[in-house]
Amino acid sequence: MRTFDTVVIGGGPAGLAAATAAHENGAKTLLIEREARLGGILKQCIHDGFGLVRFGEKLSGPEYAERFIDAFCKADIPAMTLTFVTRIAPKENGGFHVTLVSRDGVETVEAKTLVLSTGCRERTAKQVSIHGTRPAGVFTAGTAQHLTNLLGELPTKRCVILGSGDIGLIMARRLTLEGAKVLGVYEAKPTPSGLTRNIHQCLHDYNIPLYLSHTVTRVFGDDRLTAVEIAEVDDKMQPLAGTEQILECDALILSVGLIPENELAESLGVEIDPKTKGPLCNGQLMTSVDGVFSCGNALHVNDLVDYVSESGECAGKNAALYVRKKRQEIPINAAKMLSYIVPQRLNLDADNHETVLYFRSRDILNGCTLKMRINGEEAFSKKYPFLRPPEMERLTVDFSKYPLDASSEIEFDIEVKANG
Amino acid sequence: MSLVRINKKLYARYGGAVRAILRDGCIVLQGHLPTWKDVVDACQTAATKYSTTHVVNDIVCDEVKDTPMRLPSLHDNALDGREPDVLVIGGGISGVSIARELSRWKLDILLVDKEPDLALQASGRNDGEVHPGIDLSKGSLKHHYIRKGNEMYAQVCKELDVPFRRVGQYVCFNKGYLKPLVALYCLWRKQHDGISDTKLISGEELHRVEPNFGEEFKFAISNPSSGCVCPYGLTIAYAENAVQNGAEVALNTAVLSMQLENGKIKSVETNRGTIYPHLVINAAGVFSEDIAKMAGDRFFSIHPRRGTNSILDKKAGAFMHSIASIKEITRSKTHSKGGGILHTVHDNLLVGPDAVETYEKENVATHRESIEHVFAKQKKTMPRLSERDIITYFTGVRAPTFEEDFIIEHGRKTKNLIHCAGIQSPGLTTAPAVALDVADMAVEMLQKEKAVKKNTDFSPIRHGVPVLREMSDEQRAEMIRKNPDYGIMVCRCEEVSKGEILDALRSPICVPTVDGVKKRVRPGMGRCQGGFCSPPVMQIIAEFLGVPLSEVKKSSAESTITFGRTK
Repeated sequence: MRTFDTVVIGGGPAGLAAATAAHENGAKTLLIEREARLGGILKQCIHDGFGLVRFGEKLSGPEYAERFIDAFCKADIPAMTLTFVTRIAPKENGGFHVTLVSRDGVETVEAKTLVLSTGCRERTAKQVSIHGTRPAGVFTAGTAQHLTNLLGELPTKRCVILGSGDIGLIMARRLTLEGAKVLGVYEAKPTPSGLTRNIHQCLHDYNIPLYLSHTVTRVFGDDRLTAVEIAEVDDKMQPLAGTEQILECDALILSVGLIPENELAESLGVEIDPKTKGPLCNGQLMTSVDGVFSCGNALHVNDLVDYVSESGECAGKNAALYVRKKRQEIPINAAKMLSYIVPQRLNLDADNHETVLYFRSRDILNGCTLKMRINGEEAFSKKYPFLRPPEMERLTVDFSKYPLDASSEIEFDIEVKANG
Repeated sequence: MSLVRINKKLYARYGGAVRAILRDGCIVLQGHLPTWKDVVDACQTAATKYSTTHVVNDIVCDEVKDTPMRLPSLHDNALDGREPDVLVIGGGISGVSIARELSRWKLDILLVDKEPDLALQASGRNDGEVHPGIDLSKGSLKHHYIRKGNEMYAQVCKELDVPFRRVGQYVCFNKGYLKPLVALYCLWRKQHDGISDTKLISGEELHRVEPNFGEEFKFAISNPSSGCVCPYGLTIAYAENAVQNGAEVALNTAVLSMQLENGKIKSVETNRGTIYPHLVINAAGVFSEDIAKMAGDRFFSIHPRRGTNSILDKKAGAFMHSIASIKEITRSKTHSKGGGILHTVHDNLLVGPDAVETYEKENVATHRESIEHVFAKQKKTMPRLSERDIITYFTGVRAPTFEEDFIIEHGRKTKNLIHCAGIQSPGLTTAPAVALDVADMAVEMLQKEKAVKKNTDFSPIRHGVPVLREMSDEQRAEMIRKNPDYGIMVCRCEEVSKGEILDALRSPICVPTVDGVKKRVRPGMGRCQGGFCSPPVMQIIAEFLGVPLSEVKKSSAESTITFGRTK
């Protein structure tokens, strides 16, 4: 049986960064990728805007991926592509048996630590309660992107996009460039879900209308989609009777949210945060199961790949350096004003230094202050001119500065100035 | 019920708008009513449950839009001049099981279905329950076939290599005082109707086997003979076995009209040429009345009843392992049980179906209300049930007669015709048993014309596509060694390999569409609903057929997925 220190599952941006970091920190590493090529979803993201934070330049998805693939290959780290993990079994005294299926057969390898960089999947039409018939022409934005950019096939000539998530906005522009008519982007929420820059660069610049507080309720067509029913929604995002209108089109493209893929993590008994749908992690991005680390979009849905790579590096490095011992962890809670914070736990022995945190506000907020309280006492604060749910915030906190013990409780909250 | 009484009742309800007459031994309802609900009510008023004197609905209804049957776009002469011994109309569970049983004989069997695949209507759109027959009483054909059908399942599914699990069914009660009454009822079923394995269990016992069921349940009827099967999987398997034994299946083939001569069907017009069958079997589901009419033998009417089922993520599959529903004593007039929760053979949960009368035979659009209705009820069965776990939902249309029983008999006027019509729940359960009888009826009829010999090459064994996810590592490795495509994972949610997809494409009834592959080996059935795997599945199909990607369809010839190359 082949034995590794760290096995990284998923060869997208998170996994590539994790595997390279694990290797650099001395771990005998194996990267496993389900598809034939490394790079994950970046392969189909041929638009630019990747790497602004990390490299200070605008790269396309494949260009961004290539930088990491180059570094990964230069380090000569073993990788198995077209390989699928069917099962992970924890060993009795720590470590894991990972069972793999590939063209070469079935192999079980041993790993001291695991990094789960399994990415996320798209929410589907039925998960947002779209009814009617089941014709061809209902695509998630990622599938439409796969067809258009990787297979060079046009999935629509005239479409409606539901959801203003980033991939939906990107696809609105992409399909317009391919000569398709995008009738509009419809968003059930009263505010856009995607990055502001994408609203401008993908919709405004191409005169594609954005309809807020609208949703698609039904699709029509027995063979190929022929029309969709649009309705306005109330403040609980429920369709308002009497506001329905029928739009003739040949496709409905959905960009209605991403769900971290954590089926493998769950099979190991990893605790999942209902807010992020990713594992509950500490500052080293170790999950509730010893030796299992999580990063990238499997941990929480990111809007910038730069942060995906960063979390991959953090998880990879810590997986390499991991020494099994009892953990003493205290919670990092997100108060109501935050939709979530990652990590959700602080390891008193290992995270007592500068630690990266990611968070999102629940609502659009202007002139606000992020506050960290320890046992109810304010210990740290940071001002933000504005916070928007679609834009994830990153900050570092040096936890060595604070007196923390096993009974401490950390909470992050946002305060908004009155009339702010 | 006498005609006079029927007319009295109709007059009381509808004034002179509807009346019943006797014609050819049928109760024909004539007149004019505004809504379909009225029509169904009127016909139900005139009908006697399980009677063989059928109500024929000739009422003109304002609400009913005359939508013609959807037809395949295909036109060719592939079947022109064919003279099969038996023409089976309908590729649902009834038609294919009959074709398979007939293939035990040296006969030329042709099965046609207008859809691009088998089991595209009711047979592929039901809950897959193999019923115990607890709710059926003596005197009906449903009751006549249910025990035998149920008992045959283990054997049939073994022969046809289809997963079947006898998981048991629980009918749960939360009113303890009903227990003596229900006990008497069970005793009556046993003594009178031969439903012998039913027993009552206490709430405690119920919660021991299904700890997530509603706490307030005091007792339950347990039907250990209940099981579940993949209904479209079984339909496809039956058809494949029929084909292996010499039958022919022609999809995209619609029966358009028939020519009659001397009380017999002389020829059958299709979009693929004229067929001259010796014997016709009408297994056309919601269209069985239309086929009967074409054959000059319309003595019953179908009133379509749609139902919607939801499929839940496999994660929810762990919540329960049987089939169950709460039984609430209400004055509900619906004929179907109104849904339940079922742990499927693929380890999802299925929730539903509801029952809604409709005149639209082919409208399988789903509605939000159906899901809400069923979940509201079934959350009482299992409070952990949540709409959040839904991964997909679908609607099917049942094909009941107003007498709510099957019609399995020779043509009443037309000689070379057998009807297998009015098949609704528990039609999936009864199908294996019904098929034996219908095949016997057919052979007996054909034997009057010529000698019919046994098919000595008949093999009841069909091998399905191997399911690698269910194999041990050693078995799986061995399969991959022989065919490395079994090691290339295409569908991550359902763990389907390229090899299995290619096997499906090479199966006896090749349906090279995304849906065809999905039904056979499951890529796209999981929680991402094909988000990741549909493009690679399209590529595999395109490569297999040697066509451009834009030629790969979802299902029908018009269900285009992509429009050709980008700029």
